[in-house]
Amino acid sequence: MDNNKKAQSSALLALTGAALALPGIAGKAHAAAPVSEPVLSYHATRYSEARLDSDKHLGGDSERYEIDTHQLGFASAIGKQTDIQLDLMVESMSGASPWYVQPGANNEPVQAMSGASIKEERVDLQSRFNRFVNTETVASLVLGYSDEDDYSAANIGFEFEKTLPQNQLTVTAGMGYSDDELEPTQGTTAVSVTSAEKDSLSAFVGLGFILNARTAVQTSLSITDQEGFLSDPYKLAYIASLANPLVSDNRPNDRRQWVWLTKFRHYVPSVNAAVHADYRYFDDDWDIESHTLELGWYQNLGNTLRVDSVLRYYSQTAAYFYAPFYLSPRSDGLASSDYRLSPYGALSLRLRVVKSLGPWQLSAQWEGYEAKASHSLKKVDVESPGLVEFNTFSIGFDRVF
Amino acid sequence: MKILTAILCGLMLTGCTVSKVEPWDRQYLARPEMAWDADAASAAYQSHVYFSKEASNGGASAGAGGCGCN
Repeated sequence: MDNNKKAQSSALLALTGAALALPGIAGKAHAAAPVSEPVLSYHATRYSEARLDSDKHLGGDSERYEIDTHQLGFASAIGKQTDIQLDLMVESMSGASPWYVQPGANNEPVQAMSGASIKEERVDLQSRFNRFVNTETVASLVLGYSDEDDYSAANIGFEFEKTLPQNQLTVTAGMGYSDDELEPTQGTTAVSVTSAEKDSLSAFVGLGFILNARTAVQTSLSITDQEGFLSDPYKLAYIASLANPLVSDNRPNDRRQWVWLTKFRHYVPSVNAAVHADYRYFDDDWDIESHTLELGWYQNLGNTLRVDSVLRYYSQTAAYFYAPFYLSPRSDGLASSDYRLSPYGALSLRLRVVKSLGPWQLSAQWEGYEAKASHSLKKVDVESPGLVEFNTFSIGFDRVF
Repeated sequence: MKILTAILCGLMLTGCTVSKVEPWDRQYLARPEMAWDADAASAAYQSHVYFSKEASNGGASAGAGGCGCN
């Protein structure tokens, strides 16, 4: 009898939690209860960058990065009020990296790549502990560590989520800190420092609303302050007026970033599909402003198969100190020709198939990404020759126990 | 100021159209494809790739992993 009551009570608690579920800021719209069953997941991904066009390429190895990534995840309850999530990511990278840009024929910028192919590994472990104080309140601790040959980072974060069922509202707030240390590899490419540090402090607040039985919206504002060595120790910039025109990449030692992120979810019962629309506005004190729009259609085909299609558009302005190359030094001494700080736009398409087989969920995903000056929202005078085009393909599974 | 204006507009848009939804009427909202990140592992990977290749990153998260990101 006691066991029956316990089982009924447990089932009721789970049902209540699911019914009260409001979309929070966390990745999954979790109910205010720990995960009910342990879940193990594994995903393997191959990332391949396209070679540079020959007319944009100065010399060195034009074969760009290939990255193999393995992700292992595990989530389980610990007692009645706590759960834990562990995510391990292991990356193996090889290929050449953009090094510097110099004027070519007709002063068109051409990209020099790192002379030697780089091979390195990165291991990243992220953990998350969720404490379900009651059915409406969750406090979370995030701990992580990332390590590669020349870079290590430790991060810690706290999040707090409060659901107000009567208002169909979830309020979330959090802050995080990351301590990064850099020791550039002394190889065939000269580096600008032997060691350096970077600190990042971020905070966010967010609101999640249920608009109706089929629609939810989440909006959040976050701020990040970075301080320390924010340059790229492997990259150079070209200043034409200097006797030795190649100088180290040199960026400001601090950066403040603002992000406004809004996500919209709508279910269409008549076709058994979900519509996603995400918009992110980014602004920082390096004069970089960006807009990101993701539109997704998640189509169920029967009860066990789903096909997801996501179109992503991205457009950014340049950092105020960026130039493909410089005719003379800037008065503040800053210089960077990193394509990531240049003005451009990018389009990507992502397709995913998800199949459920009992406790197993199998998935396969492809993404194609292309960055171009012509994709930018604003007119770009000179396109960076280092802009990237890549494909990713991944397969994986989730197993519920 | 631009950010503040945009947020206020967003909140006004969402706040004006809320209708009462009982807990037992939330079966569509609870579907996995309605989650903010319908595939958490995939979302984490994509976020890392975009972080490596674009100047802007970030969002509503207290977590952050570093990388050299060549």
